[in-house]
Amino acid sequence: MNPFLLGASAPVLSKIPISTGVATALVALLMLTHIQFAAFQQGGYLILAVSDFMGWKRKDERHNRFAHGLLICLGATFAFGSALAIFAVMILFLGLWSVFWDTIFRVLFWPMFVEAISFVGEIICLYTLYSQWQRLGGVRGLRVGLELLLFVNAQIQMFCIDVMASYMLTPRPSSDLALDIFNPTMIPLEIHRFVGNIAFAGAMIALVGGVRILWSKGSTSRAYADWMGHYGLVWAIGFTIAQPLVGWEYAKEIQLHAYASWYSMMLGGLSVAFLFQVFLLGAIFTVGIYYLWRRVRAGGVRAPALAVCTGISLAAWLLISTPSSLAWSYEDVFAANANVPIWQGGLLIPWGEMIPFKLVALIAFTGVAIVAITVYLKHLSRGHLTWGSAGRGQAVALIVVGVAVSLIMALMGYIREDSRSPFLITDQMLINQQQNFTPPSSPGPDLNGPGSGVGVVLPFGPPLP
Amino acid sequence: MAEEARELAQRRVSRRRFMIMGINVAGAGTALLIAAPIVGSVLSPVFAKRKTPWVMVADVSRVPIGVPTAYVVNLPINEGWSVPPVPRTVYVVKLNLNGSVEMLTLSNVCTHMQCDVHWDIGLQEFLCPCHGGLYSIDGTNIGGPPPWPLFRYEHKLVDSTLYVRNVLYEP
Amino acid sequence: MKEASTAPQRSRLAATLTRPVAGLLATTYRWVDERLGVSDLTHQLLYEAVPRRGAWAYSLGSATLIIIVLQIVTGMFLLWTYVPSTTEAWESLNYIEHHDEFAAIVRGMHLWGAYVLFVVIGLHMIRTFVSGSYKKPRELNWIVGVVLFLLVLGLGITGAMLPWDQAAYWTATVVTHVVDYIPFLGNWVQEILRGGPQMGPETLTRFFAIHIWLLPALLVPLIGLHLVLLRRHGEHGSWVNYEGVEVESEQHRAERMAHAESPYPALPSDPGYAVPVDLDQFFPSQVFKDAVLSFGLVILIFVMAVVVGAPLERAANPAALNYVPTPEWFFLPLDQILVQFPQAWMIPVGVFVIPGIGTTLLMLVPFLDRTPDREPWRRPEVMAPALFAVLFLIFEALLAVNRLFNL
Repeated sequence: MNPFLLGASAPVLSKIPISTGVATALVALLMLTHIQFAAFQQGGYLILAVSDFMGWKRKDERHNRFAHGLLICLGATFAFGSALAIFAVMILFLGLWSVFWDTIFRVLFWPMFVEAISFVGEIICLYTLYSQWQRLGGVRGLRVGLELLLFVNAQIQMFCIDVMASYMLTPRPSSDLALDIFNPTMIPLEIHRFVGNIAFAGAMIALVGGVRILWSKGSTSRAYADWMGHYGLVWAIGFTIAQPLVGWEYAKEIQLHAYASWYSMMLGGLSVAFLFQVFLLGAIFTVGIYYLWRRVRAGGVRAPALAVCTGISLAAWLLISTPSSLAWSYEDVFAANANVPIWQGGLLIPWGEMIPFKLVALIAFTGVAIVAITVYLKHLSRGHLTWGSAGRGQAVALIVVGVAVSLIMALMGYIREDSRSPFLITDQMLINQQQNFTPPSSPGPDLNGPGSGVGVVLPFGPPLP
Repeated sequence: MAEEARELAQRRVSRRRFMIMGINVAGAGTALLIAAPIVGSVLSPVFAKRKTPWVMVADVSRVPIGVPTAYVVNLPINEGWSVPPVPRTVYVVKLNLNGSVEMLTLSNVCTHMQCDVHWDIGLQEFLCPCHGGLYSIDGTNIGGPPPWPLFRYEHKLVDSTLYVRNVLYEP
Repeated sequence: MKEASTAPQRSRLAATLTRPVAGLLATTYRWVDERLGVSDLTHQLLYEAVPRRGAWAYSLGSATLIIIVLQIVTGMFLLWTYVPSTTEAWESLNYIEHHDEFAAIVRGMHLWGAYVLFVVIGLHMIRTFVSGSYKKPRELNWIVGVVLFLLVLGLGITGAMLPWDQAAYWTATVVTHVVDYIPFLGNWVQEILRGGPQMGPETLTRFFAIHIWLLPALLVPLIGLHLVLLRRHGEHGSWVNYEGVEVESEQHRAERMAHAESPYPALPSDPGYAVPVDLDQFFPSQVFKDAVLSFGLVILIFVMAVVVGAPLERAANPAALNYVPTPEWFFLPLDQILVQFPQAWMIPVGVFVIPGIGTTLLMLVPFLDRTPDREPWRRPEVMAPALFAVLFLIFEALLAVNRLFNL
């Protein structure tokens, strides 16, 4: 026996004087802000690569200018967004949520490892582009390639962090890493975010375009702002189209594998937040399609199909925002006979008794948006749009879509994280076990030993019923 | 006079027209003679008569109440030529309804896409792995896509020995 | 020095020795050619004008043809051992897998050939769609192509039933039960396909007959029609073969039409699109690309057949309790639709109405997209919905994988 080890005593673990509530609020604030930045990066890289490619291949000066501007913006925001994440990890997670952080790192060590590596890749690609933009312009294929590599790196990061986010909601009782990674909500979340981040970046571009339309002085800058708003919005609406279907599937997986969370979101305390969320979704579709209609109209072309689309979308918006009278407590649900299958007059699919009509609204949004974007692009390809003719109304519409997308992003994160309450990892780890814990007296379970599954790593005994 | 002759000529079937008609009749007749037996043989299963003899399952007196118990039965299906009987699973379910014990003989065929349903001990429900169909212990469809409850085999009890036959009915 | 002197000597010697044989061969060939017209036919088939640019993309069609031929040939030789009977089908394949290595490779090539065929036929379809090659006068060839695609899907699903292992049995069960949801006639159709109300011996023989005779008997003549129509109108190529045709002068256009090589000009066509701007010979430049791609794919199929092979699960057990049937990957989106459309009246919507509308729209594409534009970004009215449809299928497949993985 090593005498030094025998003489060693455990360090004194003092309690950090921050309550769980404040810690939760801090993490929420920090992470929701971080998500806004990260989503912009994720989607922005793809838009960057596509824009640069189009500027290159179609010799379009507007795309060239836009790609460079977007890159500068991405470079600047990346630093701040990452600083937020680093602060969150260093101070909040290690200090205030150390038990959780330790556990999740032991379970998902390899995904986190890969994420860290791809982070390095992202930095290399991004700042090479940032500093050598003009010089790389001489080798345009290389520049586009670097942009794609940047996007791939960012996608790897998102994949890894989605593993963690989905694992926290729907962990599978196993010691198999593949089962941990591809847990029931992993792929739906991954698709949902992949699509959502691109739409988010597009909406932010549209937002900036809208603001610049209002502020622009000269006709040249106004034309560019107009084009930029249109460009961002096409990305935003085009990708939001997939969200109702993917989101519905995501909710269905949550219902099957984390019923309490689903109940909380759809029928319980969070159902009001969820109602606001579908309200925002309706706003994105309706105002977006309204923009498409007015934008074509501003070019002096009648577009009755887009007017009809706007009308249908508005109706669907009203339909989806209508609150259900029930959905406050389980007793209400029970009293409304909503706890039985749909063919017995009850509910089975997400959105509670509101389901049939909410589902109709979601289908309507999807269908109408596909038609609207197709008609709009047709007008665009026929040369019906002239840049610089957008009015105040369209600028405001762009800003509204941008704000709504930003809000829905934050709200969705809040709903997903809060739905697990009181768990940090569904059925496995509680939020309030983070601060008032006693250090384990034993050296702790062997990481690689037999039965080093999730359940054993946790020093808290059996999960709550 | 000339008009009359022309009319007559028009009414008369010319040699050429006669031959074309002959070709058409022969062609249609050939097609019909070949097609009729083929269509008949393709459709034959619809009109086939089938025997459904009683088959012994097991002594079910020891089946516990509230625990669906699977038995494999070799059912003669009497399709086409003679083949060995096909093994099928019958879930024997005893339920205590207001003091009297009722016995159900559920088929384990999902009513959605006919996959194999099994009793999931964790869920305490019948689960179909194909598309996530769920049934309660009495076979009522309670979740997922199945449109009908689990079908039941016609059965009879001789003393405590269960016999079923290959006739399914919807409860 | 020595090298130089012996080489011509050797060839002279060889010529002396082979002259009688060569002469005999030449005479025989001439005799046959005078009666069959082989030379003319070969010349006609090989020396045709094709568009010069983007030719690698056009070799997907011939790759499809080559793989279909591979499927027919491997299928023929699988029949040397396979027994289409519920009691012996699995036994015969099990014998192949364990005692007949070469037959196992043939079986593996038939399976992997099918997998590669789906990818290649899908890419071929996407290529044709993106380049707008279905525009007049080639509308009917697009429709024939869509029918061919559906026949290949049918061959895939009927072929998957034949091994009569667990996977095959439950695939057959689900597929033959889908038709039960056809309004009014469903029950009949199901009994006709199964040869009875339940899966039985006739189910296998019926699907065997459909797989090896009925569908190929439709497929082969339609492929012939597809090729005849292709040759009648010539290859369209893609927009890169028609640069500047919209702004060219009437005179220039008329000149191009007048000097077009056979089979061009393709008429009736949109102005300027009857003849590609720049032409090449089918042989050897296009045939070379076709050969390279097809050879690569056949190598892939062969390697996969040897390394991975074709799986054979346990023999079919209709009394199974815990078997989880997973559909073939190309049917994953449809399987996910089965989950998303619950209850009696919605199931037909999911399995017939939606795929039916999709297929009908696909067939009608030439009549929906009637502008002369060929560039994909100038045809958003078809490109945008198609993009959404493709994304939809991919997402559905991913979600299906997720569901099956997390049962």
